[in-house]
Amino acid sequence: MSLWSHYKYVFQLQFLRNAGFLIFMALIQILISVGIVIGFTYLIPAPDTKTILFLATGAPTIILIITGLVILPQQVGTAKSDGYMEFMRTWPVKRSVILGAETFMWIIITVPGIVVASLVAHFMFSPGYDISWTVVPALLMIALTSIGVGYGFSYLLSPTASLGISQVIIFGALMFSPVNFPMDRLPEWLQTLHEILPIYSMAEVMRASLATTTFDATLGNYINLLIWCVIGYGGAIIILNRK
Amino acid sequence: MVLEVRNVTKIFQRKGKNKIIANDNISLELKEGEILGLLGQNGAGKTTLVNQILGLVTPDSGEITLLGESVYQSPIRTRSLCSIQPQSQVPLGFLSPKQAVSLMGKVRGGKKYNPKRLDMLFDALDMGKWANKEGQSLSGGARRLTAFCMAVIVPGKLVILDEPTNDVDPVRRRYLWNVIRDLTKEGTSVILVTHNVLEAEKAVDQVAIIHDGRIITQGAPTEVKGSVSNHMRMELSLADDRSELDCPGWANSFHSNGTRIIYSMDASNVSQSIDWVKNLVDKGIVNDYSLSPTTIEDAYIELTSNKVVSS
Repeated sequence: MSLWSHYKYVFQLQFLRNAGFLIFMALIQILISVGIVIGFTYLIPAPDTKTILFLATGAPTIILIITGLVILPQQVGTAKSDGYMEFMRTWPVKRSVILGAETFMWIIITVPGIVVASLVAHFMFSPGYDISWTVVPALLMIALTSIGVGYGFSYLLSPTASLGISQVIIFGALMFSPVNFPMDRLPEWLQTLHEILPIYSMAEVMRASLATTTFDATLGNYINLLIWCVIGYGGAIIILNRK
Repeated sequence: MVLEVRNVTKIFQRKGKNKIIANDNISLELKEGEILGLLGQNGAGKTTLVNQILGLVTPDSGEITLLGESVYQSPIRTRSLCSIQPQSQVPLGFLSPKQAVSLMGKVRGGKKYNPKRLDMLFDALDMGKWANKEGQSLSGGARRLTAFCMAVIVPGKLVILDEPTNDVDPVRRRYLWNVIRDLTKEGTSVILVTHNVLEAEKAVDQVAIIHDGRIITQGAPTEVKGSVSNHMRMELSLADDRSELDCPGWANSFHSNGTRIIYSMDASNVSQSIDWVKNLVDKGIVNDYSLSPTTIEDAYIELTSNKVVSS
């Protein structure tokens, strides 16, 4: 049977199995992303346009990080502990097809949050969006990196360990990562760490395509994402195929 | 021969712990359309064996072939020819039984998937009223039957059923055995992994008892029973679960479970045992009793445990 029909049916199976949960998560993400754009303006008295633009172009990255590195690892943890993961391993399809189908499912649920938050920010604050054609590939690349890394560590670690990591990530991404504010506000050691971790590169690439006249992403950012993406998915496939 | 397992050994070595010999030189054969009952206690090595047959775990030594080809040559071929109903419940989430089974049918069969077979299965197992309900709200039995249908919707050459009747009501259990029988008539072989020995005895063509990673006996049910010699069993129920009965001299072994006690004996001791139990009935210690030839359960208990077992 063709790869495409396997992909199609595995996607339907996984999507419908999680349908209620996914709709709920998409709604939560709309709330979170709108919350970042509006809520952070309460934290900062009299924010200027540049600050709001930072928040507005950071919100989509936060959504992708939450999906790939928080929600997904929790779902993988559940699938591991209730035996569903072991059951998937018995299906007569390539493991990469399962990963691919699920990846598509996770990407879909981020779209409403990203679109709604951007529209809300635009109509409330007009922070100066200048959307480039690169937004689609950039979004895909960030999503794939986040989802890939999420798969990598949640397949590798025990459900409890990956739950712990995802809690640290959500807190770290919101408060201690240069997503919603510029990198130079962080202490130097944290800056160095963020040069290696993928979160900073995700934020830079996203910003450069949403407000292309204000922000730039370096080639290094793209390479960083690519490396993490390959490590994540590669690791996940190796673990899925492990005997 | 559909399945051949030859001298398979699998050892698990965990850091800082003793190594566990999960499978020790196991050999098995399964012909087309045959049902093999794989019996064994918890931790006997049944699941390890099944995972190796599915190509999910590689043996340390030995070989497993499916229709003459090693299961490791092409893992996807193996998983297409073999399907499994796992022992743990399949978490259906928001899928209805109908969605779950038809999608699994399409994943397994593609264009060959025949929706009429789904209707036939749901009819045969009387699952109509659950067909379109959300899976996570269904009872354990309904979910178990859904997982069964997912395994047999497009049967390959081998279907592995791990405790398929758990949580299933007695009426539908009978339906389930009928479906399994029909499956074998179409040429699919079945491995039935179970603790439920009495039920398995009625259904299987072959039995293999696995204990501490080794197959201690295998063959047709009558052969396996014969291997424990030609015994009779007496099953009696006590009037009071606090009464304690000794093992009388004519009994070879006994097994108690609450107020139910089973004795195994040589056929020559039958009349002696009847006198003994009649006396107990007269005294009101025993409510009733029955006498029958040895079952697989007796053989299983005798082979996998010490002489006196109490559970």
